[in-house]
Amino acid sequence: MAAEQEGATGGWFGESEHISRLPGKVFAAVCLSATLFGIVMVAGLLVYVTKDAIRPFTANPGWFLVFFLTLVLPSVAALGYYSRRGDGEATVALTALGIPFFGLLLGSGVLLLFIDVLSVVEWFAFVVAAVVAGGVIVGHRRLRAGASFVEEFVVGAASLVVLAPLTFEFVSTFPTVPQAWLIYLFTFGLSGAVVGGLIVARRRNDQRAGAIAAGALFAVVTAGVFIDPSTGITPQIWVILFTFAGMPTALYVEAVVRSRQRRPLGLLFPLIVVAGMLLGAVLVDLLGFAGPEAWLDFQFLTNANSRFPEEAGIYPALIGSVMMMVVVAVSSFPIGVGAALYLEEYAPNDGPLGVLVRFIEINISNLAGVPSVVYGLLGLALFVNWLNFASGIVVVGGMTVGLLILPIIIISAQEAIRAVPSSLRQASYGMGATRWQTIRRVVLPEALPGILTGSILAFGRAIGETAPLLMIGAAASVFQPPDGFFDIFSAMPRQIYAWVGQPAYEFQYGVMAAGVVTLITVMLSMNAAAILIRNKYQRRS
Amino acid sequence: MTQQTSKGTDGVSRRKFLVGAGTAGVVGIAGCTTNPGASSGNSGGNGSSDNGNSGSGDLSGEVIIKGSSTVYPVSEAMAEEFMKEHDVNVSVDSTGSGGGFQNHFCPGNADINGASRPIKDSEKQLCSENGVKPVEFQVASDALTVAVNNNADWVDCLSFEQLSQIWRPDGAQKWSDINSEWPDKEFELYGPASSSGTFDWFIDNVIQDADAIRDDYEPTEDDNRIIQGIEGSKYAMGFFGYAYYEENKNNVKAVQIKENADGSCTEPSIENAKNGDYPMARPLFIYAAQSSLEEKEQVYAFMEYYLKQAETDIVSRIGYVPSSAELRDENLSKLEQYSSN
Repeated sequence: MAAEQEGATGGWFGESEHISRLPGKVFAAVCLSATLFGIVMVAGLLVYVTKDAIRPFTANPGWFLVFFLTLVLPSVAALGYYSRRGDGEATVALTALGIPFFGLLLGSGVLLLFIDVLSVVEWFAFVVAAVVAGGVIVGHRRLRAGASFVEEFVVGAASLVVLAPLTFEFVSTFPTVPQAWLIYLFTFGLSGAVVGGLIVARRRNDQRAGAIAAGALFAVVTAGVFIDPSTGITPQIWVILFTFAGMPTALYVEAVVRSRQRRPLGLLFPLIVVAGMLLGAVLVDLLGFAGPEAWLDFQFLTNANSRFPEEAGIYPALIGSVMMMVVVAVSSFPIGVGAALYLEEYAPNDGPLGVLVRFIEINISNLAGVPSVVYGLLGLALFVNWLNFASGIVVVGGMTVGLLILPIIIISAQEAIRAVPSSLRQASYGMGATRWQTIRRVVLPEALPGILTGSILAFGRAIGETAPLLMIGAAASVFQPPDGFFDIFSAMPRQIYAWVGQPAYEFQYGVMAAGVVTLITVMLSMNAAAILIRNKYQRRS
Repeated sequence: MTQQTSKGTDGVSRRKFLVGAGTAGVVGIAGCTTNPGASSGNSGGNGSSDNGNSGSGDLSGEVIIKGSSTVYPVSEAMAEEFMKEHDVNVSVDSTGSGGGFQNHFCPGNADINGASRPIKDSEKQLCSENGVKPVEFQVASDALTVAVNNNADWVDCLSFEQLSQIWRPDGAQKWSDINSEWPDKEFELYGPASSSGTFDWFIDNVIQDADAIRDDYEPTEDDNRIIQGIEGSKYAMGFFGYAYYEENKNNVKAVQIKENADGSCTEPSIENAKNGDYPMARPLFIYAAQSSLEEKEQVYAFMEYYLKQAETDIVSRIGYVPSSAELRDENLSKLEQYSSN
């Protein structure tokens, strides 16, 4: 309308800018302020909680000064220099710092798992069982190359369902098994070296280079076993940490050095950071500057709960949360994606059955909005009272929270599958592919990044859920991490809830804040890992 | 798949090589074997919790405690100390006395239930329907504390009669209804929810002539919320266990209590509760399932430890009155009847 009127007066649309652009500008400003409001509120809350958890003001000013000079200033300066050069050095620097860091985190997680949950004998039995089952399947394919799908399926199912558990039971009764470090060396170390070799071989398109790389990695991990244990690095710790942190770092360094022969300066960045940390620590010690009396410190992460705030820790709840998330992922992800695939690809669209399907879909959407406490009651009724599981065990908690996020996974997976262009399906059918082949090779790989995005959000919600855990009877105080999936457990949000109810002020503010920061950190690193996996698939497709 | 055609002598020799290398590897590894005992493998494989684990003591397994939020700190402390000596997994939860009996203990999902009041007949009934026989032990006493805002300078002492006027249904609405010299302002009341044993005790002992509390107060299972409510308003009042008052002595003001108009005003404290001067001292209990005591060694051992330690400083440091030496001996001899050995 405006354009026509202006056209009638002879002017061009947009010539008198303020008339046509003002509403747009206002709208943009409103959107911006809404975004900023959300971000500032959440960030403010996080800063407040972190302040309570770290208590920065209890530290000596000299402590801050020393670390500012040794750590913050050099690393910021280095980063600034890299980004000024503008040829990707900054990315290299951050990746070179991030890979060993996340590798160490992951390795420590695996170590914790072996210290508290899995015994090395069980791990050994598990590996042997997997090798046996895998060997049978591969051997069968070799011997009977033209076997029908049904035969392959039967052999695969039999070896996985019957042979593997039998082997597991058999091996776990062995009177002698290899030393723990040998088991780790030949499971983690060897497979890590093989994966590294394969990566190098693919990257350079050179089988020999791959073999050399694998051999070198395995030689290093084997040699490291002979480090004197009195340094605190026992063979077990070395093997696992090197596999998870050392090998990816070595591969990354190799890639950078090879691809940019000019100046791999970014690789110096982790050295700057680590040297700054060490130097700062030594100087602080020499000068006698006290650091902050943080609630969130190493002993908080490794201690069990206690009635004394200074000794209280989150360790059993942390392990409980991680194990619960394993159950959540195993129980909800396959079912959710399967349901979404059926509803989108197989379910009838029209006729009376189509109406039924639509009715089911509407109900699933509604279920996503049901309050979590209702799912807690459902879990209590279904798993504890009806299926007679003990209350408050890991499996019950995980399956209850899994039910809670199942509708979210289904809906997001459905959206992702629907977003795959139907021209891809038509092309696949045109090539003569069956529906199953089309779904497996075209639709699913194309939809996977979207499915993972939705699932990651759902898992992030799952780890923070408290109400279902209260309902199924996850205890407020557990002093030992669960030994297996049928043990009683407590999870981090449940533990935080218990701390808030304590009479002592230190629990309600300090210890609780440390717990919140730990929970958020675990959640963010889980999400980061999942996003990395998603990006990998995205690039491939 | 396309390479399948070339399986001939090459494949066989490769397989032979694999077998040979594998055998050599196994022989080599055999030198470095350890013998952790097949039993540890068993215990993991079954996934069951109560065998294997030859840790520091000879006990193992789980002890599950639910129940009163008032007793929770005591049970938590006992669990923490007990687990320093024994490899038993004790879990403590605070569900309220009634909530614990109703949802966990009587259905047979808990070994021990804390209670800040004696078990009710209806709960006994529910337990016996499920074949659970509760065994009662008094472990400590609490000085139930009535608190007001720090700025409420007009009130220092209240009698049971006055408390009853305030808290019973259709009772007083304003402070001036109790005493004409007090402000002409409405009460702001905070108290425990109906699943709490404190709630039941208050009805039975303070509001004697009615069987309910007024319904226009702020009920909560979280005692810290009560304290925050009192801190926030000059005309507020609430009641909770003494342990919570002791942690918040600077934030709220405890009211002295007299049993009747001509009794003497007594302030809540561990000493006054111990020597019987404080009229709102109440016993705290734990109930153990008889079958758990008889069948689970670790539950019996934990109860023995609990009852012995209930007489020590652990309890008074939390803010409750420890049981007397006589009560402890009485409890222990009661416990002995259920010993399996």
